[in-house]
Amino acid sequence: MMKKYMFALLIVAAIGNIKTVQAQKAAYETSVDGVKVIVQPSGNDIVEIQTIIKGGVQNYTAEKMGIESMAMNALTECGTVKHDKNAFKDILDKVSATVYGYSNKNYSVVRMNCIKSDLDVVWPLYVEAMTQPRFDAKEFARIKTDAITQLKSLDSRPDNAIDKFADKVAFVNRDYAKDPMGTVDILTKLTPEETKAYYSSIFTKSRLLIVVVADLDQATIEAKVKAMLDGVKKGPAFTFKKASFKVYKNSINVEQRDLATNYVEGITSGPIPGTEDFDAFNVAMRIFANRHFLDVRTNNGLSYAPQAWFSVGQTSTARFSVSTTQPDKYIAVFDKLVDKVKTEGFKPEEVANMKVTYLTGFYYKNETNSAQASSIASNEVLFDNWKRSLTLVDDVKKLTVEQVNNAFKTYINNIVWVYQGDPKKVNQILYINGTLNKGENGVSH
Amino acid sequence: MTRNLIKTLTLSVIGVFSFCFAIAQPRLPEGYFWKKLPNGLEVVVIENSKVPLATIEIAVKNGAYTEGPEFSGLSHMFEHMFFKANKDYPDQASFLKRTQELGAIWNGTTDVERVNYFFTFDRDSLSAGLKFMNAAIRFPIYREEDMKKERPVVDGEFQRAESDPGFQLWYGIQQKLWGDLITRKNPIGIHEVINTATPEKMMVIKNKYYFPNNSLLTICGDVKHDAAFAMAEKIFGDWESSGFNPHEKYPIPAFKPLTKKEYFIKETTIAQTPSMQISWQGPSYLTDSASTVAADLFGTIVGLNSSKLQQALVDKGLASSVYVNYTTSKYVGPIDMGIEPNPTKLKECYDEVINQISLWAKDDYYTDEQLKDAKAILMRNSIHRKEKPSTLASQLSYQWCSTSLNFATDLDSNYQKVTRADIKKFVDTYIIGKPYAAGLIISPDLSKQLNAASFFVAK
Repeated sequence: MMKKYMFALLIVAAIGNIKTVQAQKAAYETSVDGVKVIVQPSGNDIVEIQTIIKGGVQNYTAEKMGIESMAMNALTECGTVKHDKNAFKDILDKVSATVYGYSNKNYSVVRMNCIKSDLDVVWPLYVEAMTQPRFDAKEFARIKTDAITQLKSLDSRPDNAIDKFADKVAFVNRDYAKDPMGTVDILTKLTPEETKAYYSSIFTKSRLLIVVVADLDQATIEAKVKAMLDGVKKGPAFTFKKASFKVYKNSINVEQRDLATNYVEGITSGPIPGTEDFDAFNVAMRIFANRHFLDVRTNNGLSYAPQAWFSVGQTSTARFSVSTTQPDKYIAVFDKLVDKVKTEGFKPEEVANMKVTYLTGFYYKNETNSAQASSIASNEVLFDNWKRSLTLVDDVKKLTVEQVNNAFKTYINNIVWVYQGDPKKVNQILYINGTLNKGENGVSH
Repeated sequence: MTRNLIKTLTLSVIGVFSFCFAIAQPRLPEGYFWKKLPNGLEVVVIENSKVPLATIEIAVKNGAYTEGPEFSGLSHMFEHMFFKANKDYPDQASFLKRTQELGAIWNGTTDVERVNYFFTFDRDSLSAGLKFMNAAIRFPIYREEDMKKERPVVDGEFQRAESDPGFQLWYGIQQKLWGDLITRKNPIGIHEVINTATPEKMMVIKNKYYFPNNSLLTICGDVKHDAAFAMAEKIFGDWESSGFNPHEKYPIPAFKPLTKKEYFIKETTIAQTPSMQISWQGPSYLTDSASTVAADLFGTIVGLNSSKLQQALVDKGLASSVYVNYTTSKYVGPIDMGIEPNPTKLKECYDEVINQISLWAKDDYYTDEQLKDAKAILMRNSIHRKEKPSTLASQLSYQWCSTSLNFATDLDSNYQKVTRADIKKFVDTYIIGKPYAAGLIISPDLSKQLNAASFFVAK
């Protein structure tokens, strides 16, 4: 078994798209009782199936955040009408299969993964979890306690805590401020009855999408899905809402934490999925991430893990983060770096090289059935076009340096900064006014 | 007759060589090919055409276990410097630029018994990638100015870890478990050593461990083994052997057995919910490889939902999760039991943990069916582990450093052969009645409220 703590220098491109891998047949889509089913033949003996419930944070009010996540967890942790929790889990253990649900800001996923020869054992449990969940009161009380413990545990981890803090500050009064995991107060009050009723309201054909990555024939898939959907309500028509995000002035929010280092994160705007600038901005942020690494870490030794990335969702944003003992030096380096890119642009070879890296990342990210299913799901939910993944490499190849530069200039402006650590280490004025001393333009990062 | 004799002798010689070669060839799974270059560099090619990529990795038998206190953390520092300057790429900017030209996804890790470096790129870049790797592994330049910049980066990695309660708990356990030899188990090292690292110390590490006869080159992906071997030999063939076995020349001191139970409570405001860990000194591959296999089975059994452990703790709401994991190691691997307790039932949870451990020696602690299920899980896990081609090299090199290629190849079938007696031997030898290190990380308020010190103590 592997080590718990391994110290790594890590740069892995995060690619949010899919490409049919070499040994696989072409993907296709079909429709069963009005629900879209996307199938990617896998070329291996592993079966990955994901049922997506669209909506995420737009499905509930801020007062009820956490309810969808609890519902997803309850599907498998509270048992089903036919199997209590232990019986359900014991059967899965015997074939080392995975069945569980989880929520993110854009959608929920009920996932199953097994070896193909175990499908007849696992599939009925997967269907039961979604269509006949028990919401057993005793088990619900248990998972509620665990969810609260988990919430606190995650907040004890600085990388997770700074992300959540940034969301809370940047998206105040917007859907994206909602934490799918909820709060201790909200979770404490949730009842199994209320959560079950909520689940029943969102588990409708109108919100569903099913993704299959497996070597199963179409007739088998359609027959299984049809049986699963039998009895599932059609539900009201559903529209996935996308929202843009713009920052009108720099700001910084500081939270004191007794950490061995300090965490800084900035959020600013990014193009909505499906807009013209999207791919160009994606490439721009990847190149910027390389420069950010080189300047912050290599040239100035300011952070082990400087990161810059394009966070894609209903509300898409650009993000920058570091852990550092010298936050004020970081902001000075950051400002100069952004100014340089905006003034001089990216070099043609940087854009050309990133196109090559993009291709490597395409295949690298999608070596597993699970990763492929997740990519298909996100492309379909966020772009309403899973096939985009098949054309994306060519689309990226066509991008010009000018498009990439313009996208960066358009979206990288004022920034919402958040900070956790020692407040005495950070001069907030530098984050608000900028460090370039360029007169009226100085506030723009 | 003379001609016949010569022929016979020649054939005999060839036969002897072939026989020796056959013995030297390790057992490997289908699609894996092995070759040892004259300089001692072992090369494994894994043919896997799932995606049109190639992953190359060099693993070196180096890491925390080679470090006394004065070098603690420097195998890791060395790993960072690998990605800096070398004779072909004289500064990190040009090094990084080259990774971008290759479209590479890259990584390096430092663990207790292995340091590895790997790059994934388009299959057509294999030769260029190997040349890039060759320059970095053989011809690094440790510039003082680079080290000055990298010291706070590595120390920053340490500080990031220290900001996480999970690391603080783990680190406290290591201090208790390994005593004076903790540096041999702690890859991240000591702040002061990191912050005073010099190019000279890097050269010491290079001259002790960075030789072909202490390294494994793995080429994995959409490649052909003959061509890959030829490239490897052409590029790495003139890398000179050290002429000595570093692990004979610089032996690893034996870990001293724990003599008594060691408890600690770490109070910190960053632990918003408590965590517990109990660890034992487990088997060594060198002296008891059978128990390393049994240990994995035991951990899998107690991880089953139906196990007495999960039912007593998780099902009853005393803990959110509990696991028992053994880390396969050449030199005394730890057996770790991690518990996320229900904060409102901390004492009850702890008491039940201790009770469960006391039951592990009993024959009826698990059923035959659970043993069978655990074996089936490990068999299926093997299929899942092979799903991602870019991870195959690292899986193999972990075993190459800590066990052997034969052990790795036979592991899945050996799991299926484990008996109750094997597991009993493992539990009796390493756990039952043996001293352990136990740690609790908790917020000061909760610790005071629950009077954790009153029950979380050695008895």
